Amino acid sequence: MADPHFGLERHDPEGFSLTAAVDSAPPDEPSLPVGEWLRKNLFSSPFNTVLTLVFTVVALAGLRGLLNFAFSEERNWDAVRVNLRLLFTQAYPEDQYIRVWVSVGIVVALSGLSLGLWARLSGVPVARVAMWSMTAGGLIALGVVLREPSAVSGPDGDPMRDAAGEVIRQSFGAAMGDRIWWWLAAAVLFGVGAGLWRGFEDERRRHTYVPTIPLVFGSLGVVVATLWLYRWGHYAFTGNEFVYEPDRTAALSTKLPWTVMWLLLMASWAAGRQGRGTPAEGRLKVLVNLAWLLSPFILFWVVLRDPAIDWAHVWSTDLPMAAGFVIGGGAVLYGLTRPGIGEVGRVIAVGLLAFAGFNWVAAFAGWYPMLQKARFGFLLLALAALLAPNFTGERAQRLRLVWGWAGAMTVVQYLVTMANTESTLNTPTSEFLGGFSVTLFVAVFTLIFSFPLGVLLALGRTSKLPIFRVLSTAYIEAMRGIPLITVLFFFANMLNLFLPQNMELGSVAAVTVGFSLFAAAYLAENVRGGLQAVGRSQYEASDAVGLTTVQRTMFIVLPQGLRVSIPPLVGQVISTFKETSLLAVIGIFDFLFLANRAIPSQSEFLGVKREGLLFVSIVYWIFAFSMSKYSQRLERRLGVGER
Amino acid sequence: MSDSSSPTLAATQSQRPPFYRDAVVVKWLTQVATLLLVLAALFFLTTRAGQELAAKNISTGYEFLGVNPGLDLSEGIDTDPATGGRALWVGMVNTIRLAIAGIMAATALGVIVGVGRLSGNWIVSKLSSLYIELVRNVPLLVQIFLIFAVIAALPRAVEDQGPIHGWIHLSNKGLSVPRVFPGDGFYQWLVFLGIGAVVGRYVARRRRRSQELTGRDAYPVLWLLAVVAAFGMAGWWLHPVFGWLGPVFAVVADAVGAVPPGAVQAAISLGALAAAGWWIKRFVDSHRTPAGLAKLTDDDYFRMIFAGVGAGLVIVTVFVVWPGLASWVVNSGRDLFEVVSDKFGNGRSGPPIDGHRPDIQKLGNFPNYGPAGLNFTQGMAAVYFGVVLYTAAFIAEIVRGGILAVPRGQTEAAQAVGLRRVTMLRRVILPQAFRIIMPPLGNQYLNLTKNTSLAIAVGYSDLVQVGQTLFSQTGKSIEIFSIWMLFYLACSLSISAIVNFFNVRLRLVER
Repeated sequence: MADPHFGLERHDPEGFSLTAAVDSAPPDEPSLPVGEWLRKNLFSSPFNTVLTLVFTVVALAGLRGLLNFAFSEERNWDAVRVNLRLLFTQAYPEDQYIRVWVSVGIVVALSGLSLGLWARLSGVPVARVAMWSMTAGGLIALGVVLREPSAVSGPDGDPMRDAAGEVIRQSFGAAMGDRIWWWLAAAVLFGVGAGLWRGFEDERRRHTYVPTIPLVFGSLGVVVATLWLYRWGHYAFTGNEFVYEPDRTAALSTKLPWTVMWLLLMASWAAGRQGRGTPAEGRLKVLVNLAWLLSPFILFWVVLRDPAIDWAHVWSTDLPMAAGFVIGGGAVLYGLTRPGIGEVGRVIAVGLLAFAGFNWVAAFAGWYPMLQKARFGFLLLALAALLAPNFTGERAQRLRLVWGWAGAMTVVQYLVTMANTESTLNTPTSEFLGGFSVTLFVAVFTLIFSFPLGVLLALGRTSKLPIFRVLSTAYIEAMRGIPLITVLFFFANMLNLFLPQNMELGSVAAVTVGFSLFAAAYLAENVRGGLQAVGRSQYEASDAVGLTTVQRTMFIVLPQGLRVSIPPLVGQVISTFKETSLLAVIGIFDFLFLANRAIPSQSEFLGVKREGLLFVSIVYWIFAFSMSKYSQRLERRLGVGER
Repeated sequence: MSDSSSPTLAATQSQRPPFYRDAVVVKWLTQVATLLLVLAALFFLTTRAGQELAAKNISTGYEFLGVNPGLDLSEGIDTDPATGGRALWVGMVNTIRLAIAGIMAATALGVIVGVGRLSGNWIVSKLSSLYIELVRNVPLLVQIFLIFAVIAALPRAVEDQGPIHGWIHLSNKGLSVPRVFPGDGFYQWLVFLGIGAVVGRYVARRRRRSQELTGRDAYPVLWLLAVVAAFGMAGWWLHPVFGWLGPVFAVVADAVGAVPPGAVQAAISLGALAAAGWWIKRFVDSHRTPAGLAKLTDDDYFRMIFAGVGAGLVIVTVFVVWPGLASWVVNSGRDLFEVVSDKFGNGRSGPPIDGHRPDIQKLGNFPNYGPAGLNFTQGMAAVYFGVVLYTAAFIAEIVRGGILAVPRGQTEAAQAVGLRRVTMLRRVILPQAFRIIMPPLGNQYLNLTKNTSLAIAVGYSDLVQVGQTLFSQTGKSIEIFSIWMLFYLACSLSISAIVNFFNVRLRLVER
């Protein structure tokens, strides 16, 4: 770089350093003059010229077909607009809708905090912003010209038809005149882009950066502002009534929450930035991670489900039991971590494990009753006790383990109590989630459950112990050999056959179990790839310093192996997310099912299917595409395969 | 270790740790405990399911395969013996058909798009990227539904219509194209081709040897193709000559049918024992060193025991668990040869390969496609094109990655020795790229096969759809799930076997 002080680096009010962005930007060639660029990339040989001509025609025809389809008078986009709420939350009660917004708000706030705490400040070169802007303007202008003239609407608002039943269309000139606003938008976008392009010379154009965060927040702000300013119309489905009010801005119940979300995002981002660099940064990051981990459980079982708490039961049973586990379990753990306790500690831990296992045997045989959550509590305590020998030492260290136990136990007991309480929501369907929310629910919980199982299976498959290896390999290969849909059928129809008596799982929960077991097999293969990338010397070194197998796996092998397998794991997340669409086949009211079956059967929108399906594909595409871009960035940043 | 005294080296070595800290004991104890736990869990689950099914008055067993299920399968081969087993068989054939046709189309499209993305032509490469990014990031099921909805919204089938009338018809009934199928003399003609291949190989080998001796181009591959083509052309008219093969195969069928089941049982058992013995011997041999037998680990012993136990399991299965297996093998062998004999039967002569153009018939009130053409009904077209377009995007990425992974030095070296561009691609780049492409490509073929099961969403009768219908009629959940599982595992294994075969042939021979 010739001048280290140009561009935003100098004007940056908070003194952000942009060098990182400069380092990671791909080296680009100096831009060619237009004529030379065309000759090099499109007309370099006769064959190339033919290709260019043919595919230009194909592209233009495709674009024209798409536009004519999307903007045709026969399209009924109202079917999507009216049903937006249905598509995302199905029949969630109107009077409780604030719960949905609170959940969205929590997720938004956490995202903002994480962005502020972690995201490295990067920028987009002015050259690229200018190109985007010009391309968008050019595409709009092209679309305006390509789209066939609109139909002349008759007195009743429907398009007029001639004797043969064909729609009568405007003349080309009139159509172009009618699209004046589109022309204007195209001109503005193109003009801004061209202005930016001309305003910088070649070198500076490519090395001046527009910071990403203000760019993104600004664009989101523009979108939110249009909710207040532009007359999108108010289309809704309230109770049993369709509401069409085309000539007004969006309803207050839509624009207000989104404005709050936008402000919340910026506020939490600013808070995250403030926390960065302070001594508390590390602890703050741990807290945010913990909040991310807990948020699915709390949002789905407590916030959205709104359990009606039975206080008498809480005081008589739940609270004493929780207190017993927290205090009693804490005391046991404190005792077990006493230095020099030796083999006695392990014997006690194994005894506890045997007791915890026996509780289940007794439950199946019906010897004595016990609350399921007590059984889980004992199991957790036994597992913690088995880990305890790793924490022997000073009083402070032992207390830390006790505090961790107390916190985890409190959360577990609270969540289980909440999940066991009846919901107060009165929804017409048995599940209170539907549409996109059930898609998200299944995807998120599948990830949470399949990750530990997948890692265990991968460890089993790479293990030297033959029985573990055979069992994991058989499981992984069997699961990977059969289609997901058969697994889902099995779990949706037959899981309850296999469960112990008086234990039932709802269809969504049963299917989530199926998804998790299926995804775990694929995840295991990705993790295995990472584990195999850990060098032999790492094993030998950890053996040399005398680590046990568990310690070696936990502290040496897994951290390195998982780091390598992050990009394929993100790919796995994307496919799991896409696979949730299979819920529609087994009759769960998910996003796709609503678009494919529910909307086309509404009396107002009989048979209107393609619009909803297109909308669904766009939403899926946005999520999957952004995740795949993120994974590509991650791959570059982790430098996998470059070391 | 005790800390008060300082034991001598010998004492330390002879001292064994207590059994609960002995690595070998702990290792095997945990493994056996886990195995028992898994078995116990499986036992518990199956007993629970048994009780539950008994409570619901649903019997277990596969007798529903022989009973008329009252299904109406609209697509696929004829459902002649109207039994559950035949219905499932029709479903399997439909699945296999979709998979094979899909694999061919997806490979072709994927290679084109993948190479297109690498093209120096800006618009071609951008369109290819656009296609890949659009298709890859939308769930397959959404795409299938979308194609289904688009086909449903097409105009009705009418008499003289279609993009190319008489050749390609497209309407809300789906797509209909000309059909090419093996005619009556096809199998006799195949014999001709086979003989041609044998002769051609001999000729090609001669030519290659002469090429290596003289250094002059002798075009061995071209000769091979020419010989096969010559035999094919001669066989086109001469194939009735092999009509006598029909009675021969009939005799073979009778001979196979006469084999006593006991002999088959014995043969299978001996085969299993021999295989296990051979494997163990080879395993031990591979551990022999000049200094004697190398130390075998737990793992090695486990493998050998496993091989032995496996052979034992096969024998137990053949004699105790499923004694009917032997007669089933005999009968299937006989049936197979009878079918072949029927295909060769005398009097069957006609063009080996035949074709029909699509026709439109009026069935009832509305015109529909007749049976002459190759019809993609609405559901089948949705699954087929959905699966093909989706998989092609992934194949394109694999192809691109494979070509990019060939080191640049290879291209430069090829240019340096003055190879032409086509020769360079054919002899240098593609063989190396192919080696990288093959394993993930096999994976995609597997995915494609599994993805055809989404046919159930649009009502095309593939294996899963038929199974699901049978399940809703008979309640035989576990049985049908087991059939699904076996079928798809068999598909996976055969595709892996094919891919592995190519992998081994393509493997870099390192010195």
